[in-house]
Amino acid sequence: MSIESIVKIVQENWPMFLRGAWVTIYISIIGTLIGTLIGLLVGVIRTIPVPERGIKKVFLKVINVILSIYIEFFRGTPMIVQSMVIYYGSAQFLGIDINRIVAALFIVSINTGAYMSEIVRGGIVSIDKGQFEAAQAIGMSHAQTMFNVILPQVIRNILPATGNEFVVNIKDTSVLNVISVSELFFQTKSIAGNNFKYFESFSVACIIYLILTFTITRILRFIERKLDGPENYIIPGNQMQVKTPEIVADK
Amino acid sequence: MKKRLSVLVSLALTAMLALTGCASANNEKTEESNLFRVGMEAGYPPFNWTQGDDSNGAVAIEGSSEYAGGYDVEIAKRIAEGLGKELVIVKTEWDGLVPALTSGKIDAIIAGMSPTAERKKSIDFSDNYYNSQLVLVVKNNGPYANAKTLADFKGAKVTAQLNTFHYSVIDQIEGVNKQEAMDNFPAMRVALESGVIDAYVSERPEAVSAQAANSNFKIIELTDGFETNPEDTAIAVGLKKNSELTEKINEILAGISAEEQTEIMDNAIKNQPAAQ
Repeated sequence: MSIESIVKIVQENWPMFLRGAWVTIYISIIGTLIGTLIGLLVGVIRTIPVPERGIKKVFLKVINVILSIYIEFFRGTPMIVQSMVIYYGSAQFLGIDINRIVAALFIVSINTGAYMSEIVRGGIVSIDKGQFEAAQAIGMSHAQTMFNVILPQVIRNILPATGNEFVVNIKDTSVLNVISVSELFFQTKSIAGNNFKYFESFSVACIIYLILTFTITRILRFIERKLDGPENYIIPGNQMQVKTPEIVADK
Repeated sequence: MKKRLSVLVSLALTAMLALTGCASANNEKTEESNLFRVGMEAGYPPFNWTQGDDSNGAVAIEGSSEYAGGYDVEIAKRIAEGLGKELVIVKTEWDGLVPALTSGKIDAIIAGMSPTAERKKSIDFSDNYYNSQLVLVVKNNGPYANAKTLADFKGAKVTAQLNTFHYSVIDQIEGVNKQEAMDNFPAMRVALESGVIDAYVSERPEAVSAQAANSNFKIIELTDGFETNPEDTAIAVGLKKNSELTEKINEILAGISAEEQTEIMDNAIKNQPAAQ
């Protein structure tokens, strides 16, 4: 393994590497965004207080059961299996021919959604009960409490966990090659299959993955700091990771 | 509560089944299309590989800016021409090929695939379009570089590709240290180069190109050889069960003589990216 051969591989194959990196980053960004939205929605629904009786109780129970099944299923099965089942299963048994990129986005989104909804639920539960009671005391509905009081704090608090999901997604898109998605890993495999220089080709892929994940985590850290505002103002009432490591180090 | 739950679950299941029934009616819509969609890994030279331009008769890969070339592509072109259809190459991971075929995402697998009895349970195969011979690939300076017979590989760490007959023949070596099967050839070549394994079982064309590309590798052509089933060493076009294409493709393949096959293969070995 030499630097020259790595440089040569990059020179010869940079368009393939770039196209693969683009597909990877594109699927993970959109997948994480949609997944976070799904997670927020599911998390909010799952924390609606269930009334003692009435039609609303039945309705909420049903919704909760369906959401639990969704979360358990997508959290409990590997993404590669889900890709196979959703992409090929839908064509074989339902006769629906999904575009492979659409299928990839769908799989990543719904997968991230399942993880995120538990993260969001954790974020909501961690907010001090007194805030819910105070909001109720001044006559706010559940939706008003959520949107005006709870969610702004939750979103800030789940950002580090969202960053984790993002990084996981960038790496996990590499299983989507079973449904013909030419992402970075599949492209690198083709390049290595052609030039028979495996260490070198995969070293290049390794560096590209690192650049992708590092950039994403830096951007999220930046957003975190922006959301925190001035240092002497700290949002109260959560037991998750409140502070950026920089602030913790300062103290 | 329990009762209500079970009623709900059964209702949901019925609804899903009903939907499935409705949707399966329009399953056949792609059959009439004028495209001949062929699935391959495009990463198994000289059978199929990926390249950046359309030199040496490479064909564009669907949904990507790359091109696929190789023996399989040449055969696919001849079949498409014979069928009077337009050739489309769909690049798919090995494990995705059979599901892609059975679900109708592609019309045929032309990916250096052998028509094994196991695979024949789920898909049909055409007549053979290539016959190959099993060899072992070892390191040039390794302890097995001068091996000649199966017995010479006693105690060697040998592996082969997962879900292929290459892996099952390893048992014929007495006292072999059979390793976990690997997913693909790139992984095995890395393992061999790094010394994780001593040898891997492969078919001749793959081995020839591995040796040509990396001078550390050496092909061992055994004097006694593995006992193989002829249906394993042959390579055929994978097709959907009871496909109407099978007969037509067999006719086209019959028109390609053994000499022409060798010529196409020699060209493919010469043109593969690693050889340039």
